Amino acid sequence: MSIEVHNLHQHYGETRAIDGVCMKLPDSAQVLALIGPSGGGKSTFLRLIGGIETPTSGTVIVDDQELPKEEEGLLDYRKSNGFLFQAFNLFPHLSALDNIILPLTEVHGWSRHKAEERAHEVVKRFYLEKHLEKHPEQLSGGQQQRVALARAVAHEPALLLLDEPTSALDPEMKAGVLDLIKELCDAGQRIVLSTHEMGFARQSADHVVFLAEGKILEEGKAEELFEASREPKVTQFLDRVMKW
Amino acid sequence: MKSFINALVSVILAVTFFFGFWVILDHDYDWAAIAPYSGNLFSGWLVTVGISLAALALSVVVAAVLTVAQLSSHRVPRVLSRAYVEIVRGTPLLTQILIGYYLIADAIGWDSRFGVGLVILSCFSGAYLSEIFRGGIESISKSQWLSARAIGLSEGQTYRFVVIPQAIRRVLPASAGQFANLIKDSSLLFVISVHEFTMQAREANANSFATFEAYLPLVMGYFILTFPISLLSRHLEKRFSYEH
Repeated sequence: MSIEVHNLHQHYGETRAIDGVCMKLPDSAQVLALIGPSGGGKSTFLRLIGGIETPTSGTVIVDDQELPKEEEGLLDYRKSNGFLFQAFNLFPHLSALDNIILPLTEVHGWSRHKAEERAHEVVKRFYLEKHLEKHPEQLSGGQQQRVALARAVAHEPALLLLDEPTSALDPEMKAGVLDLIKELCDAGQRIVLSTHEMGFARQSADHVVFLAEGKILEEGKAEELFEASREPKVTQFLDRVMKW
Repeated sequence: MKSFINALVSVILAVTFFFGFWVILDHDYDWAAIAPYSGNLFSGWLVTVGISLAALALSVVVAAVLTVAQLSSHRVPRVLSRAYVEIVRGTPLLTQILIGYYLIADAIGWDSRFGVGLVILSCFSGAYLSEIFRGGIESISKSQWLSARAIGLSEGQTYRFVVIPQAIRRVLPASAGQFANLIKDSSLLFVISVHEFTMQAREANANSFATFEAYLPLVMGYFILTFPISLLSRHLEKRFSYEH
């Protein structure tokens, strides 16, 4: 996967959510994890890479293509990706099945029949067969997040972007969702995720970026960054969060 | 079942109230005096039902146009529709009917009382309805927009598949209430001699001098139209509150 970022800024009024970030991901990396303190810019960075927001200035280049600045081009780019948010964000008026089918038929132009077939394959893989006809409010947090994940991967996205996918879940549900994400990693899915799950980032990511106050403090191979960080602030952060 | 019992209790209370009223007044009823006008009263009631239903349909169209204008990214339609809504809501319906019929309709040479009445009523109700619609659309959370954007829906598709289906559920109770208002408001059309229910009751009273006998059916006639709507509105409100 190739992702390059040049002098990227994203400002909301006075707040500099992303403040001059430069990064070049090694081509060999398949899974990129964004870690760091809350409010450090992880989600914003993820949304900029995913084309959900347009930057104040700077460029993002994914697979040698610079992300367009205008909405039409960005829409095409977003269609090729899958996105998962921490707060599920399913459509409450649609059943689990229809949540998965809607983008397939309306965004990707599949026939209803083909979309249903595909949706059934994905829900089977994610252990959701029993919940197909339920609406989001009838599902637990973990089930909702699995439906959202199924929706994000059903069209086989070029890039899967996960924004703190387990932050809103209890430990057991968290484990279930992380297992599925790990399966996707093992199956070769290209993933960029922001996470507070250091254990998961360490195990699954090839490359890790540590963001704080809108800047990259350190980046590198997962094992190197976790084993021997060069940056005192990063070491301090990792020591604190991995203590328990 | 519970709502049926509630409805039954309400009807019993209403009947008791009217019966009590009846006893206290100790009026010497002369139904024979009003009998020759019962056909007119019934046809007036039908005109009220007809004009209310037609105005309901037309006011939904007016409201839809106003809502689109108010949500527009261009300033001109926004300001114009805002001004329209404020003027309509800030002035009495009676004056709107008088000005609409004696000034505007007269100036363009349109003298169908029913037609002019229908249009004025729809324009009036449409302004209120558009505020309900706008509120419903604006109540759909940002996360739904974000989610729709992330799966690659365009703005138009987001309205069609995500925002409007959810907004419709939210605005149904208030819209039903507005329909009940519309039925009652149609009674003011007697000032331009539309032969609706109130007009017929006034004529029956003027010709027979049987005031109670003319106006009591009037009250009942409106109530049997608005009461089921009020029940429906409450039922919808409850169903909506369970969903969230």
